[in-house]
Amino acid sequence: MTSQDSGYEHLAPLFKEFASQPDDDPRRQQLRDELVTGHLPVALHIARRFAHRGEPLEDLEQVATVGLINAVDRFEPDRGTDFLSYAVPTITGEVRRHFRDQAWSMRVPRRLKDMHVAIGAAVSVLSQRLGRAPRPSEIAAHLKCGVDDVLEGLEAASAYRSASLDEVLTDDDPAGQTTADALGEADNALDQVEYRESVRPLLASLPERERTILLLRFFGNLTQTQIAQQVGISQMHVSRLLAQTLATLREQMTSD
Amino acid sequence: MVAPSGHAEADSRNLVEVRIAASAAQISAVRVVAADIAARQDFDLDAVSDLRMAVDEACATLVPLAVPGSVLSCRFMVGVDSIEVLAKVNVPRPTRVQQNTFGWRVLSTLTDEVQAISQDFDDADGRPSVGILLCLRRDRTIG
Repeated sequence: MTSQDSGYEHLAPLFKEFASQPDDDPRRQQLRDELVTGHLPVALHIARRFAHRGEPLEDLEQVATVGLINAVDRFEPDRGTDFLSYAVPTITGEVRRHFRDQAWSMRVPRRLKDMHVAIGAAVSVLSQRLGRAPRPSEIAAHLKCGVDDVLEGLEAASAYRSASLDEVLTDDDPAGQTTADALGEADNALDQVEYRESVRPLLASLPERERTILLLRFFGNLTQTQIAQQVGISQMHVSRLLAQTLATLREQMTSD
Repeated sequence: MVAPSGHAEADSRNLVEVRIAASAAQISAVRVVAADIAARQDFDLDAVSDLRMAVDEACATLVPLAVPGSVLSCRFMVGVDSIEVLAKVNVPRPTRVQQNTFGWRVLSTLTDEVQAISQDFDDADGRPSVGILLCLRRDRTIG
């Protein structure tokens, strides 16, 4: 986006005047309003670029507008760059930050989010070392923090909106060969379930990774940690996927 | 049919009981309590997750059987090395929990022990009830 043909050139002179006004001048407030309103289409445009990622568009537009206001306030016309080349990254950054902070369906304090990340890393290290999922006390010892902090952090994990995880699932399945091996065995066990006629088509309709995880857990008798290693995702991710898949299956079985 | 064996039950200091409307919408509360109890007993994360899913499955199995508008009670008997859970609903007429279902397979995979319980005349109120008793041990040999 350049200043030559952006449709916002008429606003450029206002920045010089805006910058020269003292903070408490009513004219400054008026110019600020004018600049923000005038550039509003830029913010809305950026917001729309982030639509369909699980956050309501109205929220994104609000966040982008906040970004625009910040950009107007902080822009220094004397620097020689035009406003848009400063504003676009500023607004985009604001929207990105929104995703980072708000993609949690519940407000979770920053500290807990960091804890959640630290726990995730600790779980994978410890799982390798122990050959099974770690206990909260073991995670606490590893992170040199209290067990209560770990428990809180684990709780925060369940506040992360699972919808955003769906995007990860379309990745190629690295389990490949091993999955096929496990399935051969799984089918025999599946035959013993009298409800197979109703379960089987539902299983077939699941995304491949969910189906694999489900079969490995309930017909291959692997633990979540073993599945995580085999499929190449975290134990917490396996846990969420399993719970989600069971809920989906149950819903479909009862609705039939 | 079979009374809960829970040795932990005798000591009410280790008891947590959650009562919810027997409705699918309320099960999440029990699920959260289950996960919290297991994590605080320092069960490993696989077991925490297994208990949460098992309790979810047990409640989801019982809810459709329950007398409409009645209550599902879920008792957690928390021992040092195990957690026993008894989920129970009153039913309109004596019945059994189906054990040839996919759901039952899920339950038996996730727990160390699972038992369906049917009482034609529940001790508590003389009405028929069905329940699911499950047990998870802190140190499990299998997955």
